[in-house]
Amino acid sequence: MKQQIELRVNGQVYEIETEPWRTLLEVLRDRLNLTGTKVSCAEGHCGACTVNIDGEAVNSCLTLAIEAQGKEVLTIEGLSEGGDLHPIQETFVTHGAVQCGFCTPGLIMASKAFLEHNPAPSDEKIKKVLAGHLCRCTGYVQIIEAVKAAAELMGAR
Amino acid sequence: MNEDETLDVIGKPYPKKDARIKVTGECRFAGDISVPGMLHGKMLRSPHAHARILHIDTSKAEKLKGVRAVITGKDFPGILYGNFMHTRDYLPLAIDRVRYIGEEVAAVAADDEDTAWEALDLIEVEYEELPGVFDPEEAMKEGAPLLYDDKPGNLSSKSEWEFGDIEKGFKESYLVKEDTYRTQHFKHGMLETHTCIGFWDANDKITLEACKQSPYVAWRQLAMGLGVPPHKIRIKQTYVGAGNSGGKQEAMPMDFASVMLSKKTGRPVRIVHTMEEVLMMGHMRHAFKIDLKLGVDKEGIIQAMDCYAIADGGAHSSIGQLSVFILGAFMMMTYKIPNVRYRCYRIYTNKSFSGALRGHCGPQGRFAFEGLLDDIADELGLDHFEIRKRNALTPGYEAPNGFKITTCAFKEALDKAKEVSDWENKRGKLPKYRGIGLGAAGFVTGSNIMGMSACSAMLKVQEDGSVALQTGATDVGQGCDTVLPMIVAEVLGIEPDDVSFALVDSDLTPIDGGSWSSRVTFYAGNAVKIAALDARKQLAQVAAENLEAKEEDLVFRKKRVYVKGSPDHGIELDRLVRYCQNRKGMTIMGRGYYNAPCGTIDFPTGTGNFAPTYSFYGQVAEVEVDPDTGKVGILNLWTAHDGGRELNPMLVRGQIIGSAVMHLGQALFEGVIRDDKGETLNTSFRDYKMPTFMDIPGEQNIYSMDQPDTEGPFGAKEAGEGAGTPTIAAIASAIQDAIGVRITSLPITPEKIVMAMKNKGAK
Amino acid sequence: MEEAFALLARYGPKTKVIAGGTDLIPQMRWGEIRPEVVLGLGRIPDLQEIQFDDKGGLRLGALCKIGAIESSPIIRENYPLLAQAASVLASTEIRNRATVGGNLCTAAPSADMPPSLLVLGARAVIASENGERVVPLEDFFLGPKKTVLDNKELLVRLEMPPMRAISAGEYIKLGRRNAMEIAMIGVAALITLRPGGNTCEEARLALATAAPTPIRCKEAEQGLTGKKLDKKTIESAAETASREASPRTSWRSTEEYRRDMIRVLTRRAIQRAIDKIKS
Repeated sequence: MKQQIELRVNGQVYEIETEPWRTLLEVLRDRLNLTGTKVSCAEGHCGACTVNIDGEAVNSCLTLAIEAQGKEVLTIEGLSEGGDLHPIQETFVTHGAVQCGFCTPGLIMASKAFLEHNPAPSDEKIKKVLAGHLCRCTGYVQIIEAVKAAAELMGAR
Repeated sequence: MNEDETLDVIGKPYPKKDARIKVTGECRFAGDISVPGMLHGKMLRSPHAHARILHIDTSKAEKLKGVRAVITGKDFPGILYGNFMHTRDYLPLAIDRVRYIGEEVAAVAADDEDTAWEALDLIEVEYEELPGVFDPEEAMKEGAPLLYDDKPGNLSSKSEWEFGDIEKGFKESYLVKEDTYRTQHFKHGMLETHTCIGFWDANDKITLEACKQSPYVAWRQLAMGLGVPPHKIRIKQTYVGAGNSGGKQEAMPMDFASVMLSKKTGRPVRIVHTMEEVLMMGHMRHAFKIDLKLGVDKEGIIQAMDCYAIADGGAHSSIGQLSVFILGAFMMMTYKIPNVRYRCYRIYTNKSFSGALRGHCGPQGRFAFEGLLDDIADELGLDHFEIRKRNALTPGYEAPNGFKITTCAFKEALDKAKEVSDWENKRGKLPKYRGIGLGAAGFVTGSNIMGMSACSAMLKVQEDGSVALQTGATDVGQGCDTVLPMIVAEVLGIEPDDVSFALVDSDLTPIDGGSWSSRVTFYAGNAVKIAALDARKQLAQVAAENLEAKEEDLVFRKKRVYVKGSPDHGIELDRLVRYCQNRKGMTIMGRGYYNAPCGTIDFPTGTGNFAPTYSFYGQVAEVEVDPDTGKVGILNLWTAHDGGRELNPMLVRGQIIGSAVMHLGQALFEGVIRDDKGETLNTSFRDYKMPTFMDIPGEQNIYSMDQPDTEGPFGAKEAGEGAGTPTIAAIASAIQDAIGVRITSLPITPEKIVMAMKNKGAK
Repeated sequence: MEEAFALLARYGPKTKVIAGGTDLIPQMRWGEIRPEVVLGLGRIPDLQEIQFDDKGGLRLGALCKIGAIESSPIIRENYPLLAQAASVLASTEIRNRATVGGNLCTAAPSADMPPSLLVLGARAVIASENGERVVPLEDFFLGPKKTVLDNKELLVRLEMPPMRAISAGEYIKLGRRNAMEIAMIGVAALITLRPGGNTCEEARLALATAAPTPIRCKEAEQGLTGKKLDKKTIESAAETASREASPRTSWRSTEEYRRDMIRVLTRRAIQRAIDKIKS
């Protein structure tokens, strides 16, 4: 029994038909072809599926698509503006924070929500805020460095 | 080219080339790829640890609306495939027997994933349950249920070899100590689950698009299991969301299922594993029980080693024949050991099976060896660094088993680690419940293993001075997509951005062994360098003529080719290329292949210098143990490494930290937990606990000895696996310093620490 | 609300209520729970209120997000223990969706919010089409994943009195890792001192994962009330708490270790609460 819903994603409006039990993650990937947000554990333990809803970082695998109605959803695809990388995307590239890249979109979206309200975060704060994100490749250090560098860049701009 | 001149590209921290598409979300991994007409597949798995399959009725599943095909083991030719001829025991889907909970029994292709899942529930499998065996030592006993009727004692594979005379060695030892170490089953932990898209076309050409880190291994195994010649198979590698070996290294049942379902339906079929499947399935690091005995003289010089190990292999062989050998071989890779007896037995049990994982038995061996060596040092009153330096492998050394050490800055690395960690003022001197420990390791830089060492590269220099590079090397996140272009760029005097790096396609890219054994930078790097030099030579010949100079006087730099000493006397590289193309009809293509100057393994005798060079590590961990809860905090981790020249320091750092943190997980948190019926209990990241941001060491510092290797491309050695190899040993040793008790089983949980302290002295 | 009650009345046992969804969605995905109807409460106003006055205390809407509790100035000022407990629950992302009501109604013995709420004397306000009833939180949990709610009722609010003067609390959660852990043991301590010294006016202790439900350790509390809080009394109370609890051996941990940890963490929580009062 599908439902007609309207979603605002990355500033665009989408009208789709979906079963009410579909998660936002499934709808973003399978219906809107926004595959930047990843499926990994699909139960909120790895952070790979993180998007922003009304500026807050949430696991899209734990959010029903219908619950995102009337809200602003921002995914990794919506972060760069007109081909220019967002500072967080830039510093992830320049600081070695990307290896296999699978955890990257989720981490960047979490960092975005965080840095908007935390312009000068400490290492400890960064670790705590991002603790819901697993990365098997980097060992986290270069990610923390990238986030701090992004904070500085964002402050400077 | 003269490598003593300043390097323009090598040694710089170039960002990873594919990072940009990964940070924008544009990068399509296998699960992001949809093709027209694509169906979705799912695998049916055995609920029993050991059973005969009597009958499978797929009729109800086939009738479900949206289901397009259902297959079972009988849809395949019944040819066993796998890694070694004498141990191959994989089938695409089980035919008459299942041997572990989770073994693949059937597969479905449907219009959507939900329908495919539903269809699985409608497949009726009649099993006859058989008794199972879950402990390797039980499985070895007379009368234990056999997993394979032709493998008495459930012996999957073994490795037995000796050098020198251990009896004499122990007799002449001043001190002989022995202990038993136990390590756990440990998973790869990659975030991207196994995914593949299979297509069997009307010409019987079989295409598999998958996140394989060793596409050619999968290619051969697929051909084997399908009973078709390899040229009928095309593997197209997708971006790999990490691998660390395991299923992304081999052909898996899902790969076979996707292509066979495609054959039946005439449509592409995509199969994606869930993380729950990944954590309950096979492919993980071997769990070992290692009985180790070492004898040393009064100075702490090793006289003899006797190692008896039992590997818990699980239900299939995988690459186990190599694993049982390599535990012992890697134990020989750090110190000089004149007299050795090594016996290792891999035993089948009715559990998810073990195979290769980053470091491949190196970490387990170090955990045992370094721990016992520390105990010996303590008893002799010797400093932990000193005893290691006295035994350390040295440049030019030839080991009894054939290892030939070429470049080696191991002692220097040990000295550095001791200095930067302030060891002298810390070991045994820190406040109560704080400790410091050392782990040391040597590691292979690539190896000639399994007959798959050939490595090649092809490139074409385009008319705008850029280069299209093709090799069979696979980037799994470690950065060869950047380092290999950097090598080309250095040789031809251009920028890494000017060099494109192709994903592996078995129809188009040259053959390669794969990404394992830390071989890529060394083997592929040398092949790439040779190919680039080949192109350079062709260009130099024409340029020399043009510029009326000698080839050997030409410099390729900053996209120009000019005569040494007279930068104005030259030509732009792109103009040169166009000149070759248009005036001489020469397209500039470079070709290179490389096989390292080393031997192969003779498994029966355990001999062979199977790596062209070795890297070395001295790693120190400082920890703080909460004596009441047993929790361990790692305050600092110092890694001094002899990895040759770092071609890209930022990427090397990422490898070293990444591998160390991964092994911190094995030391303290992780482990596959099963009940007594062989069912995996922790099939979720909630209970399979990998390190988080909050668990990493307070500080991590890395020191490169920077001694170029003589054979590696621009002097490089490995960085992918070695750094994590001593980590468990270093942490275990630090904990021992902190609490005064050595814990000899993994993971070293807070609970174990509290119990060990309670029963101080008892193990 | 009326609509919700009407729907509950209509579909009754076939319904599952969804709040943040962080527990329910994975359970539905793995087929552990197969509701026919899922009732979302997100659009009901007033269920997310955080209201405080120093006579009546706190009104905390059941749909308050854990993240909101963590960052609310009202909570941080008047019930810092609650903010502390909220801050160690799962991850940032989950805290941005999960609700305190959901945490209570899922009723896992390991839930992070109940111990703090219990020591703060919280009352559960339950509503149905017949009106509201108030249940002390101690009586709210019946067993693992079971509460007093029948399938026509909703938890709408938690209420608790203001914290007493000269009081402080501490919540300690033990896990193998430092983040993303389900509590192996969780201890909340709320200590009130008499003016000018170390004598305990009142002590409250509650545990997670130490019994089939979150529990108060009343015997241990009595061991502290009216007594001078020194090493001996604290240790004794911790010992009593570990005996009042009934932790199990499971594949995650042994009974022995859990009991040891109850003792260790209870001692620590009490001491830290005292230190907070002193500073």
